[in-house]
Amino acid sequence: MAGGSSNSKSNSGLLSRISNSISGSGIMFHGKRAASDAAYVTKKLLQSTGKAAWIAGTTFVILVVPLIIEMDREQQLNDLDLQQKNKQATLLGTTPPSRSQLIHCSGEQLG
Amino acid sequence: MAGFVPPPPPPAPPAPPKPDEKVDYFDLPCPIPYEEIHREALMSLKPELFEGMRFDFTKGLNQKFSLSHSVFMGPTEIPSQSSETIKIPTAHYEFGANFIDPKLMLFGRILTDGRLNARVKCDLTENLTLKANAQLTSEPHMSHGMVNFDYKGGDYRTQLQLGNGALFGASYIQSVTPYLSLGGEVFWAGQHRKSGIGYAARYNTDKMVATGQVASTGMVALSYVQKVSEKVSLASDFMYNYMSRDVTASFGYDYILRQCRLRGKIDSNGCTAAFLEERLNMGLNFILSAEIDHRKKDYKFGFGLTVGE
Repeated sequence: MAGGSSNSKSNSGLLSRISNSISGSGIMFHGKRAASDAAYVTKKLLQSTGKAAWIAGTTFVILVVPLIIEMDREQQLNDLDLQQKNKQATLLGTTPPSRSQLIHCSGEQLG
Repeated sequence: MAGFVPPPPPPAPPAPPKPDEKVDYFDLPCPIPYEEIHREALMSLKPELFEGMRFDFTKGLNQKFSLSHSVFMGPTEIPSQSSETIKIPTAHYEFGANFIDPKLMLFGRILTDGRLNARVKCDLTENLTLKANAQLTSEPHMSHGMVNFDYKGGDYRTQLQLGNGALFGASYIQSVTPYLSLGGEVFWAGQHRKSGIGYAARYNTDKMVATGQVASTGMVALSYVQKVSEKVSLASDFMYNYMSRDVTASFGYDYILRQCRLRGKIDSNGCTAAFLEERLNMGLNFILSAEIDHRKKDYKFGFGLTVGE
């Protein structure tokens, strides 16, 4: 009995001694500090990435999206002109003009 | 005959290279007026951004005479000392009349808050032009007027400016080579007891314009505009005030397409802006304006409609 109790006492003593030695050591302390630093840095990084993404996104919407829309419409208008010229040429019985000649013509008209 | 097919036109021969012409220094082109020296850069980089709704209607009664009605509703900024911007919603109606003749141009506008703008441009002789503008308000001491006399010589221009509040100014610009023109100006403001002198230079070719301006008020302004194609031009601008150590650089583009004109710019103050004028129909233009200031978190959006030529 005495041996058992002394055994249990020494067991609990051993476990508590081990956990005390682990938590009280310098490694644990450094580990905790490193983890909190990493969390802080990650939070700041996410926040600044979010801000940068917001600024880039809104600037893109204001500067680039109208440009894409307008260039697309210009392209559609050019294609329509090309089609019309093709139709006109085939109606008149001439060969439809080549694409480079058409672009040259439309360039002259615009310029 | 039905089956006859005309041969395709031969490809145009390449244009012969222009021989190096000897520059005739007595026959240089007339330079741009001094106050318009930054004209291309200003057109691309400083469109008339606005916030709110704008509606303009211009009706021509005659070949020379036209009336215009204009409605504006939106917040207007009040200059304030603190860093916050204070905006007050305003709405006004503006009535205007224009008379345009080859020799005489008259232009008047009156607003519902009592302000009157008037401009006169008259060609007194072939080379001498008189310009005047005046702004009258109901608030005391806020009205001002200015008269300019411009003389255009063979390859130079001079201008004399008189304004109320004892404002005197004179400027001179001369073409030095077919591409380069240099000019200077002096001004004296009696009311604020300030005087200044400035110099400007402009280098102009078919594809690009580069200008530089220095003034004794501490302002240095450089600009460069490149015409990338008939429809597209890119502009950049650098302004530095050596008294107040203020630096601003901006870059912008200007797309002139068949149905619309789109201008966009981005600034080193964290400000981006875009301005779109779209032609919906003959004589009907739809305008969109956007300005985002990321630093001050100030966002301005406006839309409008312009009816009439």
